[in-house]
Amino acid sequence: MTELLINLTSKKTPTNKQFSLAINQRIENKGITGIFGPSGSGKTTLLRAIAGLEQHLQGEINFNGKTLLNTNNKIFIKAEQRNIGLVFQNSRLFPHLSVYENLIYAQKRSKKSTLNIDKIIVLTELKNLIHKQSQQLSSGEQQRVALARAILAEPQLLLLDEPLSALDQRNKGKMLTLLIKIQQQLNIPMLYVSHSLAELQQSADRLLVLAHGKVIDYGNIHQVIHRLNEQPTDINIHQQTSLALVVKQHDKTHGLTELQLNDQHSLYMPLLNAQQYKQGNSLRCFIFASDISITLQEPFNSSIVNHLKGKITQVSMSTNKQAVLLAINCVQHTFYSQISLMSYKKLNLTQGLKVFIQFKASAIKTLTNSTTQNHIITEENGC
Amino acid sequence: MIDADLMALFTTLKMATISTIILLLLGTPLAWWLANMQSKVKVIFEAIVALPIILPPTVLGFYLLIAFAPQSTLGQLWLQLTGSPLAFSFSAIVIGSVLYSLPFVVQPLQRAFEQLGDHYLEAATMLGAKPLDRFFSIVLPMTKASFITAASLGFAHTVGEFGIVLMIGGNIPDQTRVLSIAIFDHVEAFEYAQAQALSLSLLLASFVLLTLVYLLNYKKVSR
Repeated sequence: MTELLINLTSKKTPTNKQFSLAINQRIENKGITGIFGPSGSGKTTLLRAIAGLEQHLQGEINFNGKTLLNTNNKIFIKAEQRNIGLVFQNSRLFPHLSVYENLIYAQKRSKKSTLNIDKIIVLTELKNLIHKQSQQLSSGEQQRVALARAILAEPQLLLLDEPLSALDQRNKGKMLTLLIKIQQQLNIPMLYVSHSLAELQQSADRLLVLAHGKVIDYGNIHQVIHRLNEQPTDINIHQQTSLALVVKQHDKTHGLTELQLNDQHSLYMPLLNAQQYKQGNSLRCFIFASDISITLQEPFNSSIVNHLKGKITQVSMSTNKQAVLLAINCVQHTFYSQISLMSYKKLNLTQGLKVFIQFKASAIKTLTNSTTQNHIITEENGC
Repeated sequence: MIDADLMALFTTLKMATISTIILLLLGTPLAWWLANMQSKVKVIFEAIVALPIILPPTVLGFYLLIAFAPQSTLGQLWLQLTGSPLAFSFSAIVIGSVLYSLPFVVQPLQRAFEQLGDHYLEAATMLGAKPLDRFFSIVLPMTKASFITAASLGFAHTVGEFGIVLMIGGNIPDQTRVLSIAIFDHVEAFEYAQAQALSLSLLLASFVLLTLVYLLNYKKVSR
């Protein structure tokens, strides 16, 4: 029963001729579900509809067996009665209250009050800020308070609307790590809206993709990202291999972290912070297709530390016919490589051919070590 | 100051205090309703609320006099409910004041509610706050300065009214004889010293009150 059933269409109103929403989707209500799509795809409208803040929609929303909306039967559970939390893009802290009073505001109105406010303050690292006014805080601090405040209302579902978009790169990583930690420790199901695939790749278990108010795909995060690589849709993502690998060891002498692909094979990436990424933990990482190259012979005496043997499973031409995307199956993982049409012809590549893929350690990226954040996703036609 | 003037002062303060309380109770929901109204019909209601600013008080007084007359429906109803006629009573001048000062209370509140927007209210809703709770925990503290402005302007404007009170209240000592009318009476009787005393005190009190209101708004803006 832990699921969210959504069947929504937008009402046609004189002011709302352009935008239309038509979503019929069942979403598992556990872990983190990412909602991804370009601006104007309906992500925020969907989130606000689930929250109960959007009135111009018709259809049904059913949450854990309870009807929140049924326009046919004139059922509309008010937002304040849904027990659903929402962290807004701009933190919306109450300016007339201190940080601590903002937190108390939420706790006083919680229907359960099982959470200890001091524990949440420690968990969200707000101890030194609680007596400040919200205007005195940085945007990163404000979002942490907004998150703590939303948690203290003890929602059954926490909605996050672009929670990192106002933050700088360093704070984005910090906040995302905090979100994942909170999700795991408190076990609150989250729906996380973002136009940044990198944020969702790092945090979400499942991904719901929207474009023009319709669902394009839904499923396991890695699988959906890989499908987005292969299928030309309205959303052009930076084609990539999405992985979750176990941290095997940190090799400080050589400045590398070893990630386990399977019993025999490892991948190497630039050394990670051993405190933050503990041995044995799973790490989300991605490799851009443009960073993986192909050789027909096994490379040796190369400075490139990662190479794997595999078989080409799919060949697809880019829309401008200037590049080729190859899906290569290596050690039960699918890797994506983007090569020029010239190389494709020169190497005479075909589906089923056995090849070697290779990529530098620095090609393996996470949100925190990536310096090319802004280029992860290119949006086209979305706005 | 003679006893009659003290009595007029007391009547004035009583009328202004009661009117201000009623104005806040009526004006707040009205301002809220107008601030959140999406329809174009809104401009008609805004114009109605603003009418007392431009109308001569005698026009409003004239229509109220007709409405309050013992033969009128309202006059009849009032007589049956209270046992005394409405025209030329203290209640009549309070009703008149409330209508006359309505824009001075509604307009600052409406502007404040519009400026506040629904950002913080949505945040409070998502934390489980119900409408009344949201009003007292978010709207009221965040628009406190505008409430003080509205109440002060409403009070001051009621103290300063003359035309309506004269038309619907008459000039009954201890009942409807307020300061502005007392001044008029003194001038008519060539008692310039008394008129001067009352006028000057009214002038100074109004000046102090308005300075305080503008000081409050100045602080709000510069914050």
